[in-house]
Amino acid sequence: MVPLRASVKAEGMDELLQEFIAETQETLEALASEVVAWEADPSDRDRLDAIFRFFHTVKGSCGFLNLPRFERLSHAAEDVLSEIRAGNRTADPATVSAVLGIMDRIAELAEAVAIGAALPDENDDYLIGALAQRDEGAAEEAASAVEAVRQSGVQAVPRTIRLPLSLIDQLMNGVSDMVLARNELSRKLRERLSDPELESAFERLSTCVADMRDAISKTRMQRVDRLFTAIPRMVRDLGRELGKRIDLILEGGDVEMDREMVEMVVDPLTHIVRNSIDHGIETPEQRRAAGKPEAGTLRLQARQSGNQIVIEVSDDGRGIDTGRLVEKAVGAGRLSRDVADKMTEADKLDLIFQAGLSTAQAVTAISGRGVGMDVVRANVERIGGVIALHNQPGRGLRIVLRVPLTLTIIPGLIIRSGGLHFAIPRAAVVEILHDNNETLHVAQVGGAKIATIRSVRHSMIDLEDVLGMQKPDQAAPRAIMVVRSATGVPFALGVAAVDNHEELVIRPASPLVMATGVYAGMTLPDNGKPMLLLDAAGLANAASLPNIADDRASAQSDEHEVSAAKVEMVSALRFEELSGEKRLIKLSLVERVEDVDARLFGRSGGQAFVRLDGRLVPVANGVHAFATSHVSALRLRDGRQEACYPVAAVLDIVEMPAVPDMVAMHGSLSGVTVIDSEHLEVLNPFALFAALPDGPLTERTKGRCVLVDSQDGWTREILAPLLRQAGHDVVLGLPEEQAVDPADVVFCSDGDMSHAAEILGCRVVQLRASPRPAGPQDSSIYRYDQEALMAAISGARG
Amino acid sequence: MDQLYLLATLAGTRVAVAAQEVEAVVRLAEISPVPGMPRHVAGLSALRSRVLTIIDVPALIRGTPTPQAQRGFAIIADISGHSYGLMVDAVHDICQVPEGDLPLRGQLNRAWTCYAKAIVEQDGQPHLLVSLASFIETGLMAQAA
Repeated sequence: MVPLRASVKAEGMDELLQEFIAETQETLEALASEVVAWEADPSDRDRLDAIFRFFHTVKGSCGFLNLPRFERLSHAAEDVLSEIRAGNRTADPATVSAVLGIMDRIAELAEAVAIGAALPDENDDYLIGALAQRDEGAAEEAASAVEAVRQSGVQAVPRTIRLPLSLIDQLMNGVSDMVLARNELSRKLRERLSDPELESAFERLSTCVADMRDAISKTRMQRVDRLFTAIPRMVRDLGRELGKRIDLILEGGDVEMDREMVEMVVDPLTHIVRNSIDHGIETPEQRRAAGKPEAGTLRLQARQSGNQIVIEVSDDGRGIDTGRLVEKAVGAGRLSRDVADKMTEADKLDLIFQAGLSTAQAVTAISGRGVGMDVVRANVERIGGVIALHNQPGRGLRIVLRVPLTLTIIPGLIIRSGGLHFAIPRAAVVEILHDNNETLHVAQVGGAKIATIRSVRHSMIDLEDVLGMQKPDQAAPRAIMVVRSATGVPFALGVAAVDNHEELVIRPASPLVMATGVYAGMTLPDNGKPMLLLDAAGLANAASLPNIADDRASAQSDEHEVSAAKVEMVSALRFEELSGEKRLIKLSLVERVEDVDARLFGRSGGQAFVRLDGRLVPVANGVHAFATSHVSALRLRDGRQEACYPVAAVLDIVEMPAVPDMVAMHGSLSGVTVIDSEHLEVLNPFALFAALPDGPLTERTKGRCVLVDSQDGWTREILAPLLRQAGHDVVLGLPEEQAVDPADVVFCSDGDMSHAAEILGCRVVQLRASPRPAGPQDSSIYRYDQEALMAAISGARG
Repeated sequence: MDQLYLLATLAGTRVAVAAQEVEAVVRLAEISPVPGMPRHVAGLSALRSRVLTIIDVPALIRGTPTPQAQRGFAIIADISGHSYGLMVDAVHDICQVPEGDLPLRGQLNRAWTCYAKAIVEQDGQPHLLVSLASFIETGLMAQAA
């Protein structure tokens, strides 16, 4: 494990000593891999010099710091290295091991000094003696276990300063607070009247805050190198111990990760590497027999992918024998033979994450105790990561870890339960329903709740029950959330309500709080009341929910797909309503689709109609007024009756099941069907035609406007269109064949004409060209007095 | 040894805390409860922009949670990187005690044995010297049990 930077108690400690210890520890970390690399290539003078310099520096500082043990150890190592530099001695594996041993002891001592403990009481002589021994037989042995440590990436030395971690944390907290304060200010500003100057100043502030946040986030970043530093040494030691040869490749050390992430990934990564060497990569003889090169390849690669860091560990060993895994599981009674036979390859591979299982031939001191992979996955998931396996039996195994780039700010949902507010990461929520939703059925048996949502069964728990809170009755429906941890099985969580969603600044909660296992952290929202972040996996654990997916449902849906061909499908027309919804109607009902002039639509006696083919056709959806001049309409016919259905657009023709996926008779709809993942309502032809009027529509006759002066330009170009637009039936000139209907209104400008018209028995409106009446007797209407004109028409009608 | 001590009353008993363990003393504001916690953890409270875990120390000693009305002051401390507020009945003084701490004498109540390390005398009155960290650690162990 990468040693944590222990806090150095200032109690009577010299600052110089502090500096020395810190520097020594830091250098030691990086040095181990240098030593291993140098062993593989002893001709690398630079590396040898670097290692020599380390011991030399330690020895020098020890003098005036009064650290006799340090001095002795480093002196001995320095001597040996000096000999090697002078060419009087070779760097055989035993010597290298001895040097590494010295380094370990120095590290131990440094740690003890750092925490102010007493120095370990072991015998340094043994270690120093080991240096002196020359392993005679070693020279003939096969080359060192680590063939090569190839490290790609630039090894530049950046200019740095050393800062106490607390200062960085303080900075980070400060910036998080600034982000929250800025958000609140933004909200307040929106509530008030907008002031452009204020807004632009605020924009400037926002930009500055965002930049600072990015910069500060970077201070939390560390190079993945830190993750890799201990690997070469471990690979070397393990390889030697097990007699295996490993070719180690480390890539992407320059990728950066959040500091906390690094610390949490170290252990899982170490375990994975150990497994690979112990169980994955075969011995040289086995490899030769399998036709593989004698040295196994182990590759660690880190790269950034969007807002995730991807770490891959791949080897060309024997992979995982899923058959053996299954046998072990069955043998251990965890799996019944039936289930085992039906498992997919992926399911079988997943068994490796089961606690207590191990396919190791023997439980070695290194691994194989079978407590590993479940803990690895739990640790990875705790930081919001996922782990995936890609197995090639006989050829190798690739393990991919994906972890988020940063822990601290995540999108979350605010939920209310037991009178308190909690947060849950949005990524953990699959869907949200209300408990009065038709697709949800909750059943109880023996205290266990089961929620069936669209025929998939989920374990269900109420948050109040898990946390031991009150659950008072509430008028509003409860919210049921389907949640799951990164690789866990989804379950249903009942809460009082889901209130909001927010970007939350998450801070780690104290160990007391974390020990409950159900909380992943805490956050301080704007209202100043601390809120806890729920951990989906933790909740499932606390409620002891069984970890099974509803296979039956997915199996059934497979069967369903197979028999889908047998489900009766019919052609349907998919269209868009004038109100925007997309709907379906059975194609056989549609006689034709045509564009209809909007003016042909009208209303009479409460029923909308349209004038088509010389008769009045009822409009099925009651729409008769349109924004456009022409409108698409479906001509529907049920065999006897016909109807017109104006729509916004006709989209396409699709196949739909004869019975809608979800039957819900409501008004003119028969239900909902899913086509291409879109939910479409289906029109119910029965309801549609049933709502049509019985008898034929008759239009209540409206009087026409008869414009006598048909030759007059003004009458034709200006008056006629005006009256038509107002919806009146306009006739130019006195109709010859038909009598003038008493309901008609006659427009004329000639006074004589108006007298004649009165004799005819209909109303007359006389129009004059000049704004002012000719005299007090003049009852004509100024031709441009639209109000009076319209009033005269409607007033003239009885 | 010229140590600075904070003298307070905790669960009706006179106590002393080494001043260097104490970051601040504040009047308790609103506490947001954390469901699922043992009773001696009162909840979380915000102090400016920090979130403190509030420990009901009298509850640890007495075994019953302190009622809302009696919640007075809290000592703010940073222990192992986390911020805590430890409830006390009252805070009296910060003073130097020239003779430092004295060994425990007499038969201590079982409730105090995990926490009291020594005795500090001031004005002729003995105060139990307690370490704030001990309240946190014992709490953890009690939780694990």
